[in-house]
Order: sequence, then C-alpha cells, then structure tokens
Amino acid sequence: MDVLHNLAFGFEHALTLQNLLFCAIGCTVGTLVGLLPGLGPLATISLLLPLTYSISTEGALIMLAGIYYGAQYGDSVSAITMKIPHASSIVACIDGYQMTLKGKTGLALFTAGVSSFIGGTVAIVVLSFLAPSLGEVAFLFGPADYCALMLVGFVCVSFVTTGSLLNGMAMCLIGVLLGQIGTDVTSGAQRFTLDLDFLADGVGLVSVALGCFGIAEITKNLDNREERSPFNGKIHLIPTWAEFKRIIPSALRGSVVGSFLGILPGGGPVIAQFGAYAIDKKFSKYKHEIGSGAIEGVAGQAAADEAAARTSFIPLMSIGIPENAVMALMLAAFIVKGIQPGPNMIASHPELFWGLVASMWVGNCFLLILNVPLVRYWLSVFKIPYAVLFPSILFFCCIGTYSVNHNLDDIFITAVFGFIGYVFMRLELDAAPLMLGFILGPMLEENFRRALLLSRGHFTAFLTRPISGTLLGLIGIFIVWQVAAFFWQSRNVTAHP
Amino acid sequence: MTISLVFGLGSLRYSIGQFSNPGPGLFPLLVSCLLFLIGLLTVVRSRFIKPVHLDFNLKNIALILLSLCGFAVISEHLNMIAGIAFMVFCASLAGTSYSVVRNLKVTAGLIAIGLALQKLLGLDLPLF
Repeated sequence: MDVLHNLAFGFEHALTLQNLLFCAIGCTVGTLVGLLPGLGPLATISLLLPLTYSISTEGALIMLAGIYYGAQYGDSVSAITMKIPHASSIVACIDGYQMTLKGKTGLALFTAGVSSFIGGTVAIVVLSFLAPSLGEVAFLFGPADYCALMLVGFVCVSFVTTGSLLNGMAMCLIGVLLGQIGTDVTSGAQRFTLDLDFLADGVGLVSVALGCFGIAEITKNLDNREERSPFNGKIHLIPTWAEFKRIIPSALRGSVVGSFLGILPGGGPVIAQFGAYAIDKKFSKYKHEIGSGAIEGVAGQAAADEAAARTSFIPLMSIGIPENAVMALMLAAFIVKGIQPGPNMIASHPELFWGLVASMWVGNCFLLILNVPLVRYWLSVFKIPYAVLFPSILFFCCIGTYSVNHNLDDIFITAVFGFIGYVFMRLELDAAPLMLGFILGPMLEENFRRALLLSRGHFTAFLTRPISGTLLGLIGIFIVWQVAAFFWQSRNVTAHP
Repeated sequence: MTISLVFGLGSLRYSIGQFSNPGPGLFPLLVSCLLFLIGLLTVVRSRFIKPVHLDFNLKNIALILLSLCGFAVISEHLNMIAGIAFMVFCASLAGTSYSVVRNLKVTAGLIAIGLALQKLLGLDLPLF
C-alpha cells in the first residue's frame, strides 16, 4: 500500500504543467534521436546536459530520462523500416525488417509500439517495488563493497559492449586515468594538468562525451555512406484481432525478461532484447516463424528493450552505481543538480524519485501516442539528407560544449576527444566503458582510499567483507572462465585451421 | 601501453604515501600498472589472432576537426556567425556532395537557431 501511496505522491509532481512539458519534450526529442542517424541517447543527453543548469531539477531529470527511453521507441522505428539500429534495437532489424520486406511495416510498427508500452508499464511496477528495497540493502555497503561493485560494473560493461574483456577493461582504465586529471580532492594536488589552468578542474564530461560519441559517430557515418532500404513510406497500422492476440503473450514474456536483465550490472536494452528473442524462439507457439518476419520476433524484443531501459534506473537510484554509459551520464546530471543518487536519495528527495518514476508512465503514454497513431509523420524525418543533418549536429556539439563554461577553448578539447573517439571506433573499441570509467573513476578512487584508511592499509579488507569478497570472487571466476575460453578457442583453431 | 606509461610515470611526481595513508599518486600508479599489464596481455594475444586491415579515412576526420577548431578560433577573434559559416562550408567538404546554395541555407538556419537560443533561452553566445 505504501507503494501506491508513494506513486500517487509521484503523480502529483509528474502531472504539473511544467513537468508534463519537460516529459513531452524529452519523449519527442528521444524519439527523434532514435530515428536520426548520427545521434543516440548518449550524445543527446551529453548535448543537453549544459541546458539543464537553467531548468528545475525535477524537470531536467524527467526530460533526460524521457530522451533515454524515448530513443528506444524511435530506434525500433528506424530498425524496422530502414534496418538502421542507431541506439540499441539490433534485434528489431531481424524480424522487423523482414516484415517490412513483406509489406507489413505498419503491423511491425504497431507491434513494436504496443509491446514497448507493455514493457515500460511492467518495468515501472518492478521499479516502484524494487528500488526502495534495494536502497535499504545499500546501507549495508562500505567503501570496499562500493569499490567491488564498481569493478563488477566495469567488468560487465567491458565484456558486454566490446565482446572482449581485455579491450573493454583497457578502455575502462583509460577512462579512470582521464578522470584523474585535475585537482585531487583529498590533498589539493594538481595531477596531470601539464600546468594548464583550464585543466585544474579536470577534463569536462561534456567534451569527452560529445567528442567520443557525437563527433566520432558523425565521422563514422560519413565514412560508411549508408544504404537505403526498400521501404516506400506507405503503412497500414491496424492489425486484425488474430494478429493482436499474438502480440500480448510475447510482449509479457519480453517485459519480464527485460525487467530482470535491465537491473544487472552491464545489462540493459541490448542484452534484454537478445534474451527475450531467444526465449521467444524457444517457447513461442509460432517459434518456427521467428527469424522470417514473425510478430513475436518484434513484440518480445521491443517489450524487453523498453523494460530494460526503465529498470536500468534501479541500480543508479537505489545504490548510486550506474550500470551503463547512459546511466553514468544520468548520474552526472544528478550531480550537476547537486543530488547524489543512492540509498539516501529516496528518503531525502522523495518528490524527485517518485516524480521520476511516475513521469516514466506518463512518458510511456506520450510515446504510445507518438509512435503508433503519429508514427507516419515521424517517417518523414528519413527524408532529411545527411548533408544537412551532420553540420547541424556539429553546430549543436559546439554550442553544447561552449555553454558549460562559456569557454571556446573547450571546443578544442572536444575536437581532441573526437579524434581519440574516432581512432577507438576504427579500432572497434567501444567508448562506452571509457565513459563509465571516466565518470566512476573519481568515486572509485575516493572509496578505494577510504577503504585502505579504514583497514590501516590491509588489502585483505576487500576480501574479508562478505559483499566485496563475494563480488570480487565472481569477478575472479569470470576472468578465469574468459582465459580458459580463449585458450580453448585457440587450441581448436590450431587443431582445425 | 603508452597511455599507461604516460600516466604511470607522471604519477611518480606526486606523493605515493603508504597503503594506510595513500597519497595522490598511489591510485593512478596502481591503475597505470594494471593498464600496462592489460597492454602486455593484448600484445601476447595478438600473436594468436590473424591481423585485420584497418580502414582509416583521415580526410573526413581532418575536415571535421578543422571545422570545429576553425569555429572556435573565428568565434573567438571575429564572431560566432562567421564561425558557423566556416564550420558548415568546411565540414560539408566531408560529405558525398557539395552545394554552395544548400550550405548557405544550412548556415542561415543554424544562425537563426543560434539567435533563438540567445534571445529565448538566454544563452550567452557571442554571435556578433
């Protein structure tokens, strides 16, 4: 009953005219960036981060969250119609695009929209019940446990985003080292600043994010010269009753899978989609059709995608640890507004927590309207030539960087990180772990130093505490498994070249 | 490995302290050592993997970076409107097609957006 009371309290805040407006803006911008090539939720949130200085805390966070989960909806549309997944909807390309080839684009878009709505709704229920309970567990965490938890996040994100633990961990550690640039909070010493005054406060988060994601992504798109799909722009949205009945069970299965996988460190929409797709292939009544344009192939993954996007807020808001790069940027947004997410946040800022949760359901309704009855209008976005689009994105990158400190020098830093991001992208090294390391690095150092101080310099403190010991044990097992898998593969390749 | 050496050797300039009372150099030194180890493992691993051809298109990234730096320099010494025009015309060279008329339209549109951000949102943009 407490949860219902709290949700009602949250709706009081989410349904104010100002917050409704920010929610609508977030959902609309999110859908747009999900559709457009060259921009994703990461780049957009980093782009809009400086603008949040001038708006209320609730409004800013509601808008940024709307961009994130709105982008999942928009991304499905571009994946289904054009086979271009920009943010995360990789699985939607399989059956969704097959449906487009069969002339069933409208049905695929309807399925994705309704399933995403179901996924979002289930995830909000999970979020409402689980986040406060997890927040209470977080009170048991000491500095050593936080260190271990952050390391688990690094390992999971590294493996999931790059597919190679070594590459991902290298990127994470580079991010951690970049986060060391600036003034050490404990001793006041200036580290790695090269005696440059503008580096005393460290490298700007927005410069790193826009460089590694915005600029690098634009250049990659310019290199690739994307191909266009056979989609002719004509759609018929309304399904038959028989088709509609096929959507619901698959969407519910996907919602449960997505809600669970979204909570895990390193989880999130991509893994959730694959998980839901695999379960549909195993248990669906129409499993033989999946892969060749089945409704279930779109419904389950779309629901899982949206559910995971919502539940990935749980670790951030209850423990204060972001589980992926977008959540790391959301953490930065909380910090910009002077709020430290974690177990105390729910008690000290209930209006913010419950307002955000309630706004997610309001946003879900906005997105359903935007992506089902109005989807045909969004499709006209594909007519904008990239030659017009990319100078505009560059302009917004420059304005976004400049407006943080009103310093044009920051644009040079963005350019440097643009080059670094491009090189990493060409080397097939994902910049997401770097971003996570960059944001969590200072927090990791602070907890690491605190844990050593408390244990009088004994590293055994990391192993003897039950939580950190268990988490570090899991990391150890995972690393051993990875090493064994590598040598097993190498042996097989040598034996059967 | 180069990055780890830069940060690792750099961290030696700061106090390392003791484990019971860590100095500002300890944490970056430990992270650099770990990164160096990962670099070594990557080198060893590369001995077992087939080489892959890398596709770098230096022209596009150079044009994009030039347009960004040009935007900053021109905005600093002249004004942001000239900076926007330079950025659009320079960055468009990286596209598949080049049209002066289209670039003029895009520039005009972006200047209008800049003005809107300045006048409506109160952003302090040095447009003039």
